[in-house]
Amino acid sequence: MNRYFGNRLAVFVFAFPALLLFTAFVIYPLFPEMMISLQNHDGFKSEGFVGLANYMDVLNSQTFWQANKNTLLVVALSIFVGLPISLMLALLMDAQTPSIRRFFKAAAVFPAVLSVTVVAQMWIAFYEPTWGLFNEILRTVGLGHLAKQWLTDKDTALISVAVALFWQYIGLNALLFYTGIKSIPKTYYEAALIDGAGYVKASIKITIPLLQDVVKYVLIISTLGSMALYAHVRIMTMGGPGDASRTIVYQMYYTAFERSEFGKGTATAMLFIIECLIISFLINRFVAREKIEI
Amino acid sequence: MTFRKFEMNLVNYGLKVFLLVLGCSFIFPLYWMASLSFKSKSEGYDNPFGLPKVWVFTNFSKALGKYHFFTYFKNSIIYTTGTILITLLIGSMLAYCLSRMEWKYSKTVLIYISLGLIIPIEVVIIPLFMMVKQLGIKDSYFGLLLPYIAFSLSSCTLMLYAFFRSLPKELEEAACIDGCNIYESYFRIIMPVVMPALATQCVLLFMRIWNEFPLAFIIAGRDRLRPITIGLLDFFVSIGVADWGLIGAAMLISSLPTIIVYMIGNEKIENALTAGAILK
Repeated sequence: MNRYFGNRLAVFVFAFPALLLFTAFVIYPLFPEMMISLQNHDGFKSEGFVGLANYMDVLNSQTFWQANKNTLLVVALSIFVGLPISLMLALLMDAQTPSIRRFFKAAAVFPAVLSVTVVAQMWIAFYEPTWGLFNEILRTVGLGHLAKQWLTDKDTALISVAVALFWQYIGLNALLFYTGIKSIPKTYYEAALIDGAGYVKASIKITIPLLQDVVKYVLIISTLGSMALYAHVRIMTMGGPGDASRTIVYQMYYTAFERSEFGKGTATAMLFIIECLIISFLINRFVAREKIEI
Repeated sequence: MTFRKFEMNLVNYGLKVFLLVLGCSFIFPLYWMASLSFKSKSEGYDNPFGLPKVWVFTNFSKALGKYHFFTYFKNSIIYTTGTILITLLIGSMLAYCLSRMEWKYSKTVLIYISLGLIIPIEVVIIPLFMMVKQLGIKDSYFGLLLPYIAFSLSSCTLMLYAFFRSLPKELEEAACIDGCNIYESYFRIIMPVVMPALATQCVLLFMRIWNEFPLAFIIAGRDRLRPITIGLLDFFVSIGVADWGLIGAAMLISSLPTIIVYMIGNEKIENALTAGAILK
């Protein structure tokens, strides 16, 4: 049996293909990225090393900080608004009759399997100023003065895009929470009922603490998802008006592929990696009771 | 009925309506695309969200004339099935090797492969773009396929790793006594046992790759290599926002494959997605 599981050649055959691809396309690119970020590079050829000048340029540019502010705002909204709503939806689902629950479960994942192009296009139609759904509703209920150019107003552009993103994934997150709730043993609730706790109290005292693992998981995927917000912005607003809805990843794409400043683009990417690591660390440190297996 | 009870019923009723309305909003895109695809150009503006007053049936043929749906569809199929097949094959082999075989570095490799979970594909897009150009695979399907596979490996391997560890070692012992070597026992005995886990992975990978946007947008530069998500955006840009009837038709045609998969495998998708939560 030892010869069987300890077969050196077999280990190589089984592990090599995956490790080769993973190393070549996931880990290795970080090194050229680091190298390019130290050069003046236009995507075709390098104009020589410039040290940390790209980083200085990026850190001194107002656009970068605006993009950062925008991204962090979306992340904060997803943590403090999006997640509580999904959790509430999951609790609501749990309390409803099976038929409504079945309908909601079936519908909830649908936006997440749709292409981002379709979802973004639908929200463009919702936000359209002259015939879009939102302004139409506002006019119908007599609040016409609140009608806006949602996607081209600098105060609402970013929020409008974020709403589209949240809508797409909120049902999925609710479903993840719901599965977590289902895995909590019924006896806990029976005990609480005997002690005279109501549904709301039982939710706060039993469900939410026991959901920690799922909360952690949803928190990580939705935080990293909001950090990397790009496609919705690209399709709905192109980062505009001005820099109002520019995100870090959008700024990275824009610098590299539209302005051909690959040096600055990769410098932005490196700074973005650092931010992602810091945020993952913070979540691990303050949210998870035990360390997340990364 | 006491007042308190009446109040509770009212709240309960309100919550029920709220859930139903939200649920309807989630499937609204389906209705919206379908109704739009039967509207004329002018009705797209006059009546953007209602049912068509005059049913127009030419949008589909017109959209298919300008929009290379079949090319994009073929490309999406190639990217998605290619990624699924290769990732499942090599990912499961690595997971097997890490969980069952005895070698010195298996713990290290496990941590190494987990790094993939914290590196979002977006952050390495610039060097990937340059690598793919230098390797000369930018104008072939491999330009997207290889990064897709590489970025799918982490989650696939880790989930299967957990699954393999729960299997009894007796499976291989029996095979060993019967004279199978490790390759035979892997493909003939282990693979069939883990089929349910592979099916779950299949669903997750399908959803991820079929709708992938950021990388395809940059790397699939040529029209004939674009997957549906990118081709569709291109179609919108090329006709502007002039004709929402055509946009609706193109969206509906493009979404049909996902909608069909969703309708057939709804339950499976739910299970697969929630299985992901074990991962972390």
